[in-house]
Amino acid sequence: MTMSGEQTPTHAMDMSTVLDRDVSTQSLENEDICLTIDNVDLYYGEKQALFDVNMVIPRKKVTAFIGPSGCGKSTLLRSINRMNDLVDGCRVEGKICLDGENIYDRGINISDLRRKIGMVFQKPNPFPKSIYENVAYGLRLQGINNRSTLDDVVEWALKGAALWDEVKDRLQENAFGLSGGQQQRLVIARAIAIQPEVLLLDEPASALDPISTLKIEELIYELKSTYTIAIVTHNMQQAARVSDYTAFMYLGKLIEFDATDKLFTNPSEKQTEDYITGRYG
Amino acid sequence: METSSAALSKLIPGPDEPIAKRRRAWRTFKDVLAHYSIGIGGISVIFSVVLIFFYLAYVVLPLFKSAHIEPLVEYNLSEGITGRTLFLGVEELAEVGFQVTDQGVIRYFQAENGSEIDRVDLPLGESQITSLAVGRLDSGVMALGLSDGRGLLVQQVFKVSFPNDVRTITPSALYPLGEEPMVIDEEGRPLVKLALSNNEDGSILLAAITEDGAVVYNSIMVEESMLGDNEITSTTGILPVMATRPVDVSVSGDQRWLFVADEAGAIAMFDVSEPDEPMLVDQQNATAVGQSITRLRMLMGGISLLVGYSDGIVAQWFPARDENGHYYLARVRDFDAGDAAIQFIEPEQQRKGFVTLDAAGHLAVHSSTAHRTVLERDLGRQEIMEISVSPRANRILILPEDGYLQVLDVENEHPDTSFSALWQKVWYESWEKPEYVWQSSAANQDFEPKYSLMPLAFGTLKAAFYAMLFAVPLAIMGAIYTAYFMAPKMRSYVKPTIEIMEALPTVILGFLAGLWLAPFFESHLPGIAIMLVLLPVGVLVFAYAWHRMPQKIRWLVPDGWAALLLVPVVGFLAWLSFAISLPVEELFFGGNMRSWITNDLGIDFDQRNSIVIGFALGFAVIPTIFSITEDAIFGVPKHLTNGSLALGATPWQTLTRVVLLSASPGIFSAIMIGLGRGVGETMIVLMATGNTPIMDMNIFEGMRTLAANIAVEMPESEVGSTHYRILFLAAVVLFTFTFILNTAAELIRQRLRKKYASL
Repeated sequence: MTMSGEQTPTHAMDMSTVLDRDVSTQSLENEDICLTIDNVDLYYGEKQALFDVNMVIPRKKVTAFIGPSGCGKSTLLRSINRMNDLVDGCRVEGKICLDGENIYDRGINISDLRRKIGMVFQKPNPFPKSIYENVAYGLRLQGINNRSTLDDVVEWALKGAALWDEVKDRLQENAFGLSGGQQQRLVIARAIAIQPEVLLLDEPASALDPISTLKIEELIYELKSTYTIAIVTHNMQQAARVSDYTAFMYLGKLIEFDATDKLFTNPSEKQTEDYITGRYG
Repeated sequence: METSSAALSKLIPGPDEPIAKRRRAWRTFKDVLAHYSIGIGGISVIFSVVLIFFYLAYVVLPLFKSAHIEPLVEYNLSEGITGRTLFLGVEELAEVGFQVTDQGVIRYFQAENGSEIDRVDLPLGESQITSLAVGRLDSGVMALGLSDGRGLLVQQVFKVSFPNDVRTITPSALYPLGEEPMVIDEEGRPLVKLALSNNEDGSILLAAITEDGAVVYNSIMVEESMLGDNEITSTTGILPVMATRPVDVSVSGDQRWLFVADEAGAIAMFDVSEPDEPMLVDQQNATAVGQSITRLRMLMGGISLLVGYSDGIVAQWFPARDENGHYYLARVRDFDAGDAAIQFIEPEQQRKGFVTLDAAGHLAVHSSTAHRTVLERDLGRQEIMEISVSPRANRILILPEDGYLQVLDVENEHPDTSFSALWQKVWYESWEKPEYVWQSSAANQDFEPKYSLMPLAFGTLKAAFYAMLFAVPLAIMGAIYTAYFMAPKMRSYVKPTIEIMEALPTVILGFLAGLWLAPFFESHLPGIAIMLVLLPVGVLVFAYAWHRMPQKIRWLVPDGWAALLLVPVVGFLAWLSFAISLPVEELFFGGNMRSWITNDLGIDFDQRNSIVIGFALGFAVIPTIFSITEDAIFGVPKHLTNGSLALGATPWQTLTRVVLLSASPGIFSAIMIGLGRGVGETMIVLMATGNTPIMDMNIFEGMRTLAANIAVEMPESEVGSTHYRILFLAAVVLFTFTFILNTAAELIRQRLRKKYASL
């Protein structure tokens, strides 16, 4: 498939290929930064949900957000593609920049932004359409209706989401006929079909059984060679397994953000240590 | 605050403690109670619906019950009387019968056993009775044609009195024109066939065929003079000589038409409204090869001519107009009344039915409007002298040559209903062509009831169609905007407001529509037309203009509140439309658009028309459709819309590609429930449609719906009558309509739901 290379910035190639999560010397200084989050405060009406969050998300790496329930990790993730705009009374202050451009600028077209920053939700949410149409949906939105293009992209995306072999004979069947794990991979295929730069995963495996979870994790590991991935998870083992960098949040504040190995083995903050050793959460 | 488990267990009783058992028993009791009361409720709903069905069936089914006939009594009627019986009759209650013999005797007898009550010798002098004809059946008047070319009018009167509380019927014979017979044939030839028509205004027309084949007539006018005497003017005439010998003669009830059938099988129709100048209007060859005409008789009402043929066919003819307005004799329908020559045709006195008897003794009862032979019976091959149908058509009297009278009891309550009468075009008397007509009653007795359900079914669908045309786009678009684009705060005001409209009594809507909206529309027709164009266009233009405003201004209105800006716009546009209505009417339509539509466009215009109904009924239907659609769209799970938006879809794309798809079962049932309401709605259509049962899609005309028809006519219909039962049949049809609609809707909805169900 030729399309996978289209959006890859060439100057970052050498960096991302030499880096691997086994290398313990991983550090942000060496990374190509995709997203920067600057002094972000977020309010739901009167209630403040995020307090002065500052962090970066490196390109073609998996960044995990962990923290106890209600700590704001999903909120932060959803503010990256402005899904929080849909929440009544939600207000964001500060800047989130994608490739240097503030996504909260007034001139930003939200649809274009979301096309670049795809999102997968906790609960699998296929549309009431066929498997094929689910994957082709994002392309059709952009007016791409050429049958052979769609065929190619659908096959590529389903292969990319490791679902192709399971569904290739029933592409025209309703997506609701798939199992939960398959549906979630279908949703990931749907997200990668439009080739976003960033893929936001909001607890993608929390509603799935262990085998499906394993498949999703393997998929995330595959996908990071192409996409910048941010993942919210409750599951610390999962964060440790799949991510390169981890952000620990607590009560709307970013407590610690570091390379995953470092954060899990040698956290700088007492709160992080308490959390990862199971003292609260 | 910590509570130890020991402390907790003191608060919560253990499973075996009495209080726990009591609570469990109470809980079980409530459970069982709920279970059974819900069950009983559900079953009683089904039971009541079934009961309604049973009641409807109980009322409607007699319409389709076949008629019965059975012998009642038989006795010798020839005792004590000589000569042939020329006429046989019974009075209304079928208790007293009478016979007229060729010896000039009228004998009255008890219908149950034949015992003589009275006899009257007719003042005939030297003349012999050679023919007999009856006039209006309910007048009791008959005419006797005599051997000297004259005719005597005799009226049978049956006085009902109650001496000693016993009903007694006293028969008597009167002579409306005096005991002196009227001259019909100036030349004094014996009259072998006679026809009579007498009207309530005192006009009489007698027509006869003389022994040598001339057709003569006498038109008589009886006027009461100032002294109280009857002044009689009579005009005799003779028709032009026919090519072949005339067989039978008949006259129409309005005394305009004179029909003559001849041996060659032709029927000639003469206009004798000017008795001095009879005019041949039409002559039809009325027979096929090998057929000949045996009998002519007028149907009740004196419009239709029944023609009996030699092969057992009876045909109904009547004068109808062609496209140019000229009368011609139209053959309307045929009845198969037997295999042998038709000997007798006896019309019923109160319905458009008739009884026939052929030479082979095949008796048949027919209904002309329904085009149906309701009853057939073989009497066996015997020579029949005379037959008679009682005024209420519940007895048939048959007098064979042997003098033993057979009285038959007839049970034939609803001959006027048939599939063709209810659902097909019927050629009603005096109409130009077959039509669908609903006209259940009229001022006169001899009216032909027209029970076509088609105009009503059509009107029902027409009303529902125009209402839906108005309501569906508004309700669904409104629901989409409210559920999907509107600010939640605004939605919390808008939705209940529209839903509360549903609680508006429809009688008020109907009242407003009929008494205010309809006249208002009529006087502001151009305004309506302008509004229908201006309003949508204006709203779109305003929306576009708003979209192009500098952002600084647009940000003044919070997201989702922009719709509020339209309120003054819509108000202004509506006001503007009606404000320029009059000038536009002056300028383009000569000051009166209504007459312009009627005269220049040639379209009929009613004040209470489909536009009014579309608005009023649409207004009643909108809350239903709006509410269900809104719920369906609002109920589309957020994770679906979020999923679509997260893929870079615009809100509009998400709406059209995901939301409407997922909400389609709900939207569909909203439309169907709205349609069901539009079909069944009564008060609005009753008050604002004009209730004219016409079949026309014209938007400027009204309609009559099944529901409104039931409401209008049920109070006036006699319980148990054909009309009453047909109204119930209309209810069954309405029920079936909604039943089919709902079933189809439910099936399609299930299907859609299966296809587009969200998780």
